[in-house]
Amino acid sequence: MINLLTGINSTSAALDAERTRMDVISQNIANVNTTHGPDGKPYQRQQVVFETVLRAQQNSDLSAQEVHVARIEKDSRPPRMIYMPGHPDANDKGMVATPDINIHQEMADLIASSRTYEANLAVAKNARSMAMSALSIGKH
Amino acid sequence: MIDALFNQPNYVATKKMLDVAVLRQEAIASNLSNLETPNYKRVDVAPSFEAQLSQAVKSGDPTQIATLEPRLAVDASAISGRSDGNTVSLEDELLKMNQNTFEDAMETQLISGSLAKMRLAITGH
Repeated sequence: MINLLTGINSTSAALDAERTRMDVISQNIANVNTTHGPDGKPYQRQQVVFETVLRAQQNSDLSAQEVHVARIEKDSRPPRMIYMPGHPDANDKGMVATPDINIHQEMADLIASSRTYEANLAVAKNARSMAMSALSIGKH
Repeated sequence: MIDALFNQPNYVATKKMLDVAVLRQEAIASNLSNLETPNYKRVDVAPSFEAQLSQAVKSGDPTQIATLEPRLAVDASAISGRSDGNTVSLEDELLKMNQNTFEDAMETQLISGSLAKMRLAITGH
């Protein structure tokens, strides 16, 4: 297939990766107070790890690169212990293990992610306008 | 015979510059897509290409211009201002993209212009 929109593969890969990152961040924010997950333990903060992937291209030693989500990692930080006797998940000393999630850090990550998303949308828009001007060659 | 009409050095050079604009758009797409990837180094059209093109244009030989091949290379001049070793700057990249779109528009107009002149020469209107 001819590729009219240059670099659109990189852009769509990035939009996909950033969308995954936003999903994971919203999951972290949603579970900021979850003390009891399906495994009986408090929720563990997750984060995405990005990696670059080379896209095969003819006649070129270096080609455009795509971004992919390599993996979603669990944060290994220990849970925060809060004194809440009477809570169903409290231990014998009355301490409840809650996820160590910093809401400000999550919000900052969310903003960074949505800015990257917007920048990639701008690239898609530009690729489109360049394709349109290429299609108009020879018209008058 | 008709080939000679499309073999003027300026026309061939503009076509080449259009290829460069498309390749640079691809590089910028790659850079912005890896904005948050640790240790990613920004890519751009190899700086040696500009020198080669200006030399080929000076020689006035269209085949020499046509055989030039723009390539992507890691931008060695980009400095990382971030702790993750990534050398992409969002603002720089968006500015370069806008500049590139204007260059692309200018080059398509130049090409359209030379085609229109050719049509004028053939048909007289």
